[in-house]
Amino acid sequence: MKPILKNKRGNILTENIIFIILNLVFLSILILFIFSKTGSPAVLEEKYAKQIALIIDSAEPVMAISLGMNDAVSSARGEGINLDDAVSIDTNIVTVRLRDGVGYSYSFFNDVDATIKFNPKTEAYELFVGKIIK
Amino acid sequence: MNTKYKIKNKNGVEILSVYWFAILFIVAAGIVYMVYSFYGQPYDVRETEADALTTLVARCLTDAGYVTDGILLEGVLNEDFKGNFLSNCNLNFDVEDAYGWQDSGQFYLEVNFFNFDSGTSIGEISEGNSGLKSDCGQKGKNLPVCVDRDFYVIDKDNNQYKINVISVVRKTEKNVQ
Repeated sequence: MKPILKNKRGNILTENIIFIILNLVFLSILILFIFSKTGSPAVLEEKYAKQIALIIDSAEPVMAISLGMNDAVSSARGEGINLDDAVSIDTNIVTVRLRDGVGYSYSFFNDVDATIKFNPKTEAYELFVGKIIK
Repeated sequence: MNTKYKIKNKNGVEILSVYWFAILFIVAAGIVYMVYSFYGQPYDVRETEADALTTLVARCLTDAGYVTDGILLEGVLNEDFKGNFLSNCNLNFDVEDAYGWQDSGQFYLEVNFFNFDSGTSIGEISEGNSGLKSDCGQKGKNLPVCVDRDFYVIDKDNNQYKINVISVVRKTEKNVQ
């Protein structure tokens, strides 16, 4: 059998292999850390609460908007949150809750009748912007 | 590669490893710092919000380039429209109950109407927390964001008007750290 773990002088290259493995482990931990930070429920809650509020601010009655929020849906499922309760709109305040706690709320100034619900068929949230009947 | 093995043969293996791992740790510390400084900051959406507010007001005041009916009365601002401005333009300045925001308004809106030919003011509307306007023009990330826009409209008799809209959004605590 060909000695693959030895260099020209016959020294075993175990150190090099351990060195490479440790490097790979180190880099993997680093990448996992970055992914955990970028996709953390806290970051997604803030991002989507503000995005939905801005969408409603820019919307005109009557509109139906489909929101693809795959990362938020995955996160809510992972945390055991009911998808119908993950995103809610109360008067003019959007609340996104993807983990245990109160979630993240952000207000919008466009005085419209906004409702949101999760569509299990499309796996997307559907936002309806209607006129407030005064 | 030869250099590497020479270092090994002179018992430099440990030195090389420590040196290399030190570089890795410096790189990792840099990445961790960058990730924390980027994702630790809230998304600042106030300028977009102020732009949207200005657009909403412009959409309310105009109808296909003409002044919306009922806003101007004989060349001056209709006081009835002014009195119910927020309701007429479908605006709601209520905010969430956080950081004591409900005690102090987080929005300020000022609309000035001018006769385009003479430049004279024909009316002014202001809503929200007027104290926020004093921070406009000053620099500082913890200050409210102001958006100042002008646009021109005509009435049915082709009289020209300039409308100036100043939108101010505070909401500092949720947009700046």
